[in-house]
Amino acid sequence: MKRRRMTEILIEGNPELADRLASEIRHHYPVRELAAPRQGLTMIKMRETAKQSLFYLGEVLVTEAKVEIGDHIGVGIVAGVREKLAGDLAVIDAACRAGLSETAGWTAMLEAEEIRLADRKHRELAALEKTKVQFDTMEE
Amino acid sequence: MGYVAVKGGTDAIEASIDRLKYERLKGGEQVEVSAILSSMRLLIDQVMSEASLYSPELAALAIKQAEGSMEEAVFLLRAHRSTLPRLYYSETVEPERMGVERRISASFKDIPGGQLLGATHDYTHRLIDFSLLEESEKKRKQWLDQYEEELSALEKATGDGTYPKVVEYLREEGLFETFEPDNTEPDDVTKNVFQFPASRSERLQILTRGQTGAITALGYASLRGYGQVHPTVGEVRMGQLPITVPAHGGDGEDDSYYIGSVRATEVESFVPMPTKGPDGKQELRFEIGYGICYGQNETKAIAMSILDQCLEHPESDAPSHDEEFVLLHVDTVESTGFISHLKMPHYVTFQSKLDSVRNTRKGGDGHES
Repeated sequence: MKRRRMTEILIEGNPELADRLASEIRHHYPVRELAAPRQGLTMIKMRETAKQSLFYLGEVLVTEAKVEIGDHIGVGIVAGVREKLAGDLAVIDAACRAGLSETAGWTAMLEAEEIRLADRKHRELAALEKTKVQFDTMEE
Repeated sequence: MGYVAVKGGTDAIEASIDRLKYERLKGGEQVEVSAILSSMRLLIDQVMSEASLYSPELAALAIKQAEGSMEEAVFLLRAHRSTLPRLYYSETVEPERMGVERRISASFKDIPGGQLLGATHDYTHRLIDFSLLEESEKKRKQWLDQYEEELSALEKATGDGTYPKVVEYLREEGLFETFEPDNTEPDDVTKNVFQFPASRSERLQILTRGQTGAITALGYASLRGYGQVHPTVGEVRMGQLPITVPAHGGDGEDDSYYIGSVRATEVESFVPMPTKGPDGKQELRFEIGYGICYGQNETKAIAMSILDQCLEHPESDAPSHDEEFVLLHVDTVESTGFISHLKMPHYVTFQSKLDSVRNTRKGGDGHES
């Protein structure tokens, strides 16, 4: 599974899933902490729709962690103050970069969480749809 | 005349800080940061927007510390921001990827995808709701349970929550000018002091982090005649913008890190501009003013779209078209900081002015000696 999709599932989903996957790796491999979870900033680059140019919208507070498994460095980055999750994401990232055998078994769990997230989103969208305006033209 | 440092008053300052804490605590009840987070959404949005730092948790803490003072909370957040390292730049956020929670148009009744009111105070009676005085935990839970039960009975929606842009339909019809994506790296006013004329990216960055009241006041002034822009709002949308950062050694967009989303309000205003057609006859064409800010703050985003369009036309003599006038006066920390500094001791400078007046009255030339 590609990194973009996996990190969205892990960040938006139940943090217990990231905890479970990272624990599995920590149990079997030595994980060296390169940078303990710390707070920092990410500057958001944005495209505006009037002239299609780029500008900086502002910064977002993030928590970042870095670990190493073998000679593979993993990075965990998440918006907000979420130290535990950032650490878990870093371990998962390093495991994926190293191609550890455990990662092959993660797809089903991640896909199940993705389905749960999609279900939650579709319920939320249905709630928003209730606020959609149905215009009736007034007759004289 | 230069500044002269003086010292003294340390004990008084410490007592003053104690007094400040006493004012915050003496009522006997304290609002927890978690309560601010869950109930002061729009205040948090405004603080984050003016601080140019998206962090609901820190904004809520700053609001508590500042006893609800907007300017103080923004100052605290800006100061804290300056202590943190900038670790990453995001990949370009394309606005059409917003997960929309609200979307309206003042220009068209029927827009593709429909008008979605979402959560808004726009249609509420502006009457004080005294029932909130007795809103108990039990009542809140009952209402929530009932609302959520109603929602769970709804048929699930499909789609991903994104909506097409109204402006793109008009561009497809040839009614608006089209622009190719311009990927020129933006300037950053937090890294470099900008110079006039400011670049478009600098203008947009300054406006989006501007003080809500200042942006609104100048946008309003433009409508009232101190500018030449009177738009129709093409689209206001509010929702979640997904943020990604590139991975080191990554292989394209699918390989980047998703880090979360930020809520933002975005506006495209349609501005009629008289122009001469190919046959030399006067005709109207439309230009777009762009506004965006963190959180749900539609007034600020609409006002920003007016000012964006004003600043695109510096040929006008009106004050809201003067970028020095607009851009140098809308920042919360700069404006409140400069005004506030007037209450700091100016004993020596004022004394010299007094000396000058006294000297004049005695028949001197009035110049400082």
